[in-house]
Amino acid sequence: MPSSDPLPPKESALFRKLLKCYEMKQYKNGLKLAKQILSNPKYAEHGETLAMKGLTLNGLGRRDEAYKYVRLGLRKDLRSHVCWHVYGLLQRSDKKYDEAIKCYRNALKWEKDNLQILKDLSLLQIQMRDLEGYKETRHHLFTLRPSQHASWIGFAMSYHLIGDLEMANSILETFSQSQASIETHDYRHSELLLYQNQILIEAGNLQRALDHLHQYESQIVDKLAVQESVGDLHIKLGQPALAVPIFEELIRRNPENTLYYSQYFAAREFTEPADKLAAFKQFEEIYPRAMCPKRLPLDVASGDAFRAALDSYLRRGLRKGVPPLFVNVRVLHRNHEKAAIIEELALQYYENLTRSGHFSREDADANLPVEPASALVWTALFLAQHYDYKRDTEHALEYVNAAIEHTPTLIELFMTKGRIYKHAGDPVEAYMWMDEAQSMDTADRYINSKCAKYMLRANLVKEAEEICSKFTREGVTAMENLNEMQCMWFQTECALAYQRMGLWGDSLKKCHEVDRHFSEIIEDQFDFHTYCMRKMTLRAYIGLLRLEDVLRRHPFYFKAAKCAIEVYIRLYDKPLKSEETIEEIDSENLPPSELKKLRSKQRKAKKKAELESAQAAQAQVKREQHQKSKQQANQEADPEAPQLDELIPEKLERPDDPLDKAIEFLKPLQQLAKDRIETHLLAFEIYCRKNKILLMLQSIRRAIAIDATHSSIHACIARFAQALSKLTANGELNVSVQTVIDKATKELIGTKSVQQLNDEFVAQKSDSIMHLYEGARIMYELDPNKRNEAIKLITSFDINKVKLEEATKIFEALRSGAFGECTAELRQYRTTCQQRFKYARVFKDIADTESNAAANDVNHVDEKSKPNAISADEKTADL
Amino acid sequence: MSESEINGTEEDVQDKKQKKQTRHDGGAADLERVTDYAEEKEISAAHISSAVEQIGNKRSKEEERKVAKEMELLKVHVKKEDIELIMNEMLITRAQAEKVLREQSGDVVAALEAIIAN
Repeated sequence: MPSSDPLPPKESALFRKLLKCYEMKQYKNGLKLAKQILSNPKYAEHGETLAMKGLTLNGLGRRDEAYKYVRLGLRKDLRSHVCWHVYGLLQRSDKKYDEAIKCYRNALKWEKDNLQILKDLSLLQIQMRDLEGYKETRHHLFTLRPSQHASWIGFAMSYHLIGDLEMANSILETFSQSQASIETHDYRHSELLLYQNQILIEAGNLQRALDHLHQYESQIVDKLAVQESVGDLHIKLGQPALAVPIFEELIRRNPENTLYYSQYFAAREFTEPADKLAAFKQFEEIYPRAMCPKRLPLDVASGDAFRAALDSYLRRGLRKGVPPLFVNVRVLHRNHEKAAIIEELALQYYENLTRSGHFSREDADANLPVEPASALVWTALFLAQHYDYKRDTEHALEYVNAAIEHTPTLIELFMTKGRIYKHAGDPVEAYMWMDEAQSMDTADRYINSKCAKYMLRANLVKEAEEICSKFTREGVTAMENLNEMQCMWFQTECALAYQRMGLWGDSLKKCHEVDRHFSEIIEDQFDFHTYCMRKMTLRAYIGLLRLEDVLRRHPFYFKAAKCAIEVYIRLYDKPLKSEETIEEIDSENLPPSELKKLRSKQRKAKKKAELESAQAAQAQVKREQHQKSKQQANQEADPEAPQLDELIPEKLERPDDPLDKAIEFLKPLQQLAKDRIETHLLAFEIYCRKNKILLMLQSIRRAIAIDATHSSIHACIARFAQALSKLTANGELNVSVQTVIDKATKELIGTKSVQQLNDEFVAQKSDSIMHLYEGARIMYELDPNKRNEAIKLITSFDINKVKLEEATKIFEALRSGAFGECTAELRQYRTTCQQRFKYARVFKDIADTESNAAANDVNHVDEKSKPNAISADEKTADL
Repeated sequence: MSESEINGTEEDVQDKKQKKQTRHDGGAADLERVTDYAEEKEISAAHISSAVEQIGNKRSKEEERKVAKEMELLKVHVKKEDIELIMNEMLITRAQAEKVLREQSGDVVAALEAIIAN
């Protein structure tokens, strides 16, 4: 490659060595070589060498110097493709992919057919999912080097990704024909064949796919994949008889794969449960140790067949003491008939075990040997879990306590007791039992994590961190280590705990941390673009690309994003005062005595704040030191760690535009979690505040498409109608927008007024408390005079038909003033709920929680210093 | 950049040293190797030229279709204020707004409806 500023032979050889050293990651040698060239005064300002020196420095983690030298080199030689390429590589290592693409394009201007630059460009394009661009670059590479394997495969892949499967297949077909000899047992070749087969299947060419598999079967080393595909293809092609022996063989190979059984039934064309049960029976005889033939019949059977199958399944589990026995049958509870049989059998076991030590009276009459003593404990535990599932707290506690009395050393019992309290609405009691369980085996990580989670549910963040620290790396705080390990469940639960405590900044910090993990996972795919192509693991690679595309669909992201959006909306509705003005509360209108109290309180708070900030500063110094030492340690290992802004709670909770921040979290949900109704309800909340009438409409429509009967939709429509009439009255609507809206409203609301709509809604939905609640809120909003009627509507609903979550929601709404001042009704409703939900903490201790709420209301500093066990957003509101 | 030359003996020694150092990191070392430089495999160029040509033909047709479709879209007359209205109401970028508007032949009401219905 001709250089614009050529070096003489000796230096030129050195420069080539320098390039080689960089490729081999021998950065120190590289630096020496660069120095040798640059020490010659004639070439002290040689651009390409300077740039390469910079790039090598970057390899050593000396980022700032790297930028300095690369930029200097580029300035000295702007027409060198090497300098541009190097600048691109540097930007790429800094994750500035857009910038890097620009640099590569500049480099290609000076050297349009440079293979290395084109390859690097293609990597960035696939990372950024510029599929069109990727295809172009891949084509360019292909025409330049048709003799290389990688050219063909990359070229085919670019078509596969863009959806032109026919073209992708024909490229691979031509390629495999032009391949001369194939070694036996060539894994890469085998993977390539399976990849091509995958393309055929995706294109719907099932017969061709099947023929292809048969033709190349001898060359494919992944025999399992061939078998699975051939079997599946036979079923799909309507040749089930041919698939039967294949799935029999697969079940023999792995009798615990549930998919094989369902495929087997499809092949046998079984639809009747009796056929399936008979088949399961056979498999059970052939594979007596396998679990699938024992568990799967429970899904299929019903009535007496179910009872018989369940009986032997439960007896076996209880006899052996299988801890997750209940979890294994939990799904069966969805069927009421099955749930009743489960309860009946378990009660029968319990009764007979207590009486004679047998599972049934028949066993006792037949003088069979008695069951092990532990069977009674496991049966009691099973019953406790069963009643807990039914939210029958009394019975659940009764059985779990009986079990604990019998065997006070079984950890599972304490865990279950904790879980019962959690479901009964008492997170504090729940965590104490979980802590008890944890203390019985401190080396068990599962129970340790559970305990931490329960502590977070009780808003005890410090304690949870303490518990987790038993398993985190020494030398760093648990919180830091958990972040480093991308421990997302912990961070999300933390965020939710902070949200409940009203520590908005801390909550947002955790949400952002989770968001960053997802970004990092997406970054991490970069290296695989080269690696997978080289190793020819193309099926897995395509799977990876597709996974990364929908990564934020994961429930972990959803939870964190929902929390962040809710917090940002809260911060929009009630922005926090700026940090400086917090202290200056309105002190003019206070009587002198109150003022004095306030002043002393402020002084104390200030002192405390000073102390805290001093501590924080110290911690900051420590952290920086730690960071530095870590950087030094990592210098050679990971120079590519991106430098991100530090997340500071105080800044996060005072965003310039909370709604825009919320939208950043919303966007991935709208794209990837559009099948969840909450996404669109959250979207509505944001757009409603943004006054974007069309987007409100869009959110409502999407929500309706998912579940038109959802209780929140009515409220959205009513608020939409109200917003619309306000916009129309102000004449703020554009003509085109008006046209769209008019048409849509006709479909959505018709000609009725909001009042009419709401009256009808309340009348129609009188059997659902959540619908009535939404209706009542609108009723009060439309006409504050109907306050009593609205409150009566929800508080007079039969409390026995209300779930704990629903009662809590209504109670919080009453308390937050959603229906105006209503102390008496609130007290009354609390008493009602207290009787119904004896254990639920929200309804307890009227005096206690109220004083907490008052304390929280004073100011933010106070709020922070007093994280009480239960407090909520609404509590900071007027009471 | 990709030019390679035979390693000198000096570097070979270096190489071995490096290997020794990393031997004990096991997994970490494996991960490191993911980004290593690797030589490309070549295949014999037996039937390649005809295949390349065949694929080239297919591609150029495809190219023509794409250009034609883009020209079609470019012919559509769109108003600047319509684009801005869409951007503002639907909170999307200019490029997205313009694309939808062109696809709907410049009809702003149809464009808005298309976005909402999506």
